[in-house]
Amino acid sequence: MTKTFFSLFATVALVSSMAAFAQDAAQMNAEMALAQAMSAEAAESESREQFRSLDQDVQTLKKEVLDLNRDLFLLEEELLFPANSQVAFFISMDVGEYFELDSVNLKIDGKEVANYLYTAREVDALIRGGVHRVHMANLKTGDHELIAIFTGKGPHVRDYRRGATVTIDKGIGAKYLELEITDRVRKQQPEFVIKEWE
Amino acid sequence: MNVKNAIFGLVVSTIAVTSLASSGMEGQEAPDFALKSSSGENMRLSEYRGDVVMINFWATWCGPCRQEMPLLDELYARYQRVGFNLLGVNIDDDSNRAMKMIDELGVNFPVLFDARKEVSKLYAVDAMPVTVLVDREGKVRHVHHGYKPGYEEKYLDQIRTLLRE
Repeated sequence: MTKTFFSLFATVALVSSMAAFAQDAAQMNAEMALAQAMSAEAAESESREQFRSLDQDVQTLKKEVLDLNRDLFLLEEELLFPANSQVAFFISMDVGEYFELDSVNLKIDGKEVANYLYTAREVDALIRGGVHRVHMANLKTGDHELIAIFTGKGPHVRDYRRGATVTIDKGIGAKYLELEITDRVRKQQPEFVIKEWE
Repeated sequence: MNVKNAIFGLVVSTIAVTSLASSGMEGQEAPDFALKSSSGENMRLSEYRGDVVMINFWATWCGPCRQEMPLLDELYARYQRVGFNLLGVNIDDDSNRAMKMIDELGVNFPVLFDARKEVSKLYAVDAMPVTVLVDREGKVRHVHHGYKPGYEEKYLDQIRTLLRE
C-alpha cells in the first residue's frame, strides 16, 4: 500500500516537474520566437532603410541624368544645328518712285558681310514684287547689331545714301529679316524699314 | 629596265598634266560678279548667260593692254550681234584714269571697275592682261595670261568655235 502510494507520488511529482519543464520550454520558445521576430523586423527595417537610401540615390542620379540631358539638348540646339543659327536678310521694294537702288551694304557687329550691286534688271524685278536674299549668316544666340547702308539715286536723281541700324535679338531657331524700301509720299522721300518675319 | 623607266616617266607626266589641268579654271563655272560700269550701270556676269563672254582684265599702267584693247574692240563690234559680249575689267584704284584711257583709245565695249580687286581675286589674276573666255553655259573655256601680237588670231578662232556651239 505504501509502495503504491510512493509510486503514485513519484508519478505525480514527475508529471508536475515535466509540466513545469514543458512550461519553461514553451516560455523559452516564445521568448526565442519573439527575439527572432524582433531581429527579423530590425533586419527588415534596416534593409528597407537601405532600399530607401538606394532608391533616393537612384532618384538623384536620374535627376542628374535628366539635367545633363537637358543641358546637352540645349547645347546641341545651340551648337550642332547650324540651320538654327541661320539669319537670312532679304531686300524688297515697294513702288520705288523716290529711290533707285544701286547697292546694299550689310554690316553685322561692325564687320562687312555683304555688298551687293543691283543691276537694272534686278531692280526692275524688285519693283515688280521680287524679294532678294542678299545674305545668309550663322549667328550665335544673343544681340547683334545690323547696319544696312542703301545707296542709289534719291529724289530728283541725286545720289542718295542712307543707313538703317537695328539690333537683332537672335534666339534659338532661324531668323528672317526683311529690309524694305518704301516711298513716304508725304515727305517725298524713300523710307528704309527693317522687319522681322514671324 | 628601259620599259620600266618609260612607264615611270609616263605615270609622272600623266600626274603632272592632270594636276596642271585641274589647277586652272578651264572647265569650271565662271565665278559670278557684279561691278559698276563706265556708263554708270551695274553689270552682272550671270545676266549674260546664253552669250559667249570675254572678260578682259586690264590696267592703265599695262603696256600690252593698251595694244590689245583696240583689237578686242574690233572683235566686239564684229560679233556682238551674234551673241558675243566683252566685259573689260579695270583694276586701277582710280577709275578716272581708266575713263581717260578709254576715251583715248576710243573703245566701245563696257568697262567695269574693280577697284576693290575682288573680281580679279576670284579669277586669280596674276598677270596683266588676263583674258577669260566664258561659253554660253557659263563655263570658263579659255584663259590667256598676258598679250603678245598674234593672240587676237587665237581669240578669233576660239570665239567663233564657242559661238557655233
